[in-house]
Amino acid sequence: MSKPSQSSLGRTARLLDLVPYLASHQGIALSHLAQDFSVTEPEMIADLTTLWMCGLPGYTPLELMDLSFESGFVTIRNASTLSNPRRLSEEEMIALLLGLDLVIESLPSEREDLRVIAADLVARLSSRVSVPTKLSAKPSTPGSVRAVIQDLLQKRGALEILYHSSYSDTVTSRVVTPIEFREENNFEYLWAFCQRAGGFRSFRLDRIQSAQLSQMPTYEPESPVQDKAATISYTLRAHSRPRQIMERFGIDKSDFAGDLPAASFSYEWIRRSILACSGSVELVQPASVRALILHSGRAILERYKAG
Amino acid sequence: MSRKIERLINLTIALLATKRYLTKNQIFASVEGYEGSAEAKERMFERDKDDLRNLGVAIELGSFDPLFEDEAGYRIAPEGYALDLGAITGTEIALLSLAAEAWKGAALDQSAQSALTKLRSMGVDSDLDALPALAPRLMATHAGFQVITTAISKRERISFSYLSESLKSELRTIEPYAIATKASHWYVAGRDISKSAMRTFRLDRIDSEVTTSKNGSGYEIPPDFDLLASLALEQSAHIARVDIRKGKAHLMRNASLSIEDKGEWDQITINYLDSRSLIDLLLWHGDDVLLIAPESLRMELIDRVQEIIDLHV
Repeated sequence: MSKPSQSSLGRTARLLDLVPYLASHQGIALSHLAQDFSVTEPEMIADLTTLWMCGLPGYTPLELMDLSFESGFVTIRNASTLSNPRRLSEEEMIALLLGLDLVIESLPSEREDLRVIAADLVARLSSRVSVPTKLSAKPSTPGSVRAVIQDLLQKRGALEILYHSSYSDTVTSRVVTPIEFREENNFEYLWAFCQRAGGFRSFRLDRIQSAQLSQMPTYEPESPVQDKAATISYTLRAHSRPRQIMERFGIDKSDFAGDLPAASFSYEWIRRSILACSGSVELVQPASVRALILHSGRAILERYKAG
Repeated sequence: MSRKIERLINLTIALLATKRYLTKNQIFASVEGYEGSAEAKERMFERDKDDLRNLGVAIELGSFDPLFEDEAGYRIAPEGYALDLGAITGTEIALLSLAAEAWKGAALDQSAQSALTKLRSMGVDSDLDALPALAPRLMATHAGFQVITTAISKRERISFSYLSESLKSELRTIEPYAIATKASHWYVAGRDISKSAMRTFRLDRIDSEVTTSKNGSGYEIPPDFDLLASLALEQSAHIARVDIRKGKAHLMRNASLSIEDKGEWDQITINYLDSRSLIDLLLWHGDDVLLIAPESLRMELIDRVQEIIDLHV
């Protein structure tokens, strides 16, 4: 995110927005005000000083805006001309519309009431922007799961989740103590202490099938938590479809030449991923996983020959 | 610089407060800050008008009396200046706040925050208690995201270099129609100029800056265009029949159209986009799945498995 603008246009926009904000937040502390507009206190004082010189033509004390901010609290009077907030720019509307779309999809199913209110807001905003219904953001996680986890994160409670591990292709029930949400490669993960594994694990949110409060005691980490997942080094050789290989194995484009070194924390993931490239890629190392892939390939072939 | 800002604010106030159109001379005489020769004032005023327009403040040009050819004047219509969402409730403000917060650290963060400031200025307190604890996040960090959304709203062509399947960068120019997420990836759809056809691009495969061009701007977006529907339609092009082992292949089970119990196995039907992506998905699941139909795909799959074996003996 870029810093709020210090250009004259950026500052003019801020001053125009500052007046209605002050009018609706009379007596706000200068420090809060600076924070709300993401500027420093001296920058905010400079803004207020400029505003002080503005008003209706005539520019006598009767026409100028009346600001007081000497005691560290800011009030404004005589500013009715500018006291309505400005209309939203297209980009602001787009941001809100995409955000609302995500909120609607994230609401738990029993909150149909809020969904209706949010959908009405979308309709009201869309009618004012020239890109209606062109915007859409879908969360990958069901709202009910997210709401429960969010709630327990605040309460620091233990959580019982039904989790689908795609590597082992199994659904297991686990009791975890949620620590935080993390983001990686466009996916959201829950970073949590897993009692079953006896350590910290990350769970991809869209693979958590259900979540509920657990009666089990929570685990309190004593020291800052480090991710200590063991990594397995392996080497690939691409034969076709390089973009797919690059994306699936998380290899940087600039490194894409010759034999490709990579790392994972699961043999099972490596085996399945190589199979799922259906001949586009070859595993060079480690030999043990190479043998597993050969074995899997033969087992699949046998099934088709038999069927 | 402060002088210019003061002048812009004073001009806005004067043009908003006036009921009648103000002529340039009235503006120069009454609004503080217009100094110098007639030409200098004129230039200053033209620049100020452009600046305010860039801030989304629309200045109207008109005259008092259409019957007389008197000098045209200027004003800002309050209804065009002010935010108009009708009456708004605390719950609505809270929902809009959540929508804005979803951008934290992502592409449109700053616009979301400035929108929120305007909404908070409406004098209605956010009723957070009305909402369940949610904090959905939009994970749009691609540098081109903001350029693309702005281009869609301005109907401007965009150009970028795009990674092809064979990892070659190809320059593409499109009239962007829509941007949307699907399965955790952002897509932009639009009419590809050189191919003269609709194309969809995944944002993370764009490997250059996204540039806009006014050339060919102002194109029409079909009002019923829906990117997600067109993506979904593409993916439902074909149907395959697959046996899956009970308790396995959850990803495929979740995506299935129908499930039939066959004892140790279940038989499902599933949509797929193209043969290769279905074969990839089937092979991820190893011998827990067995493709039944279509037959041609079965032959192709067997060939692919033979390739895997040949590569790893």
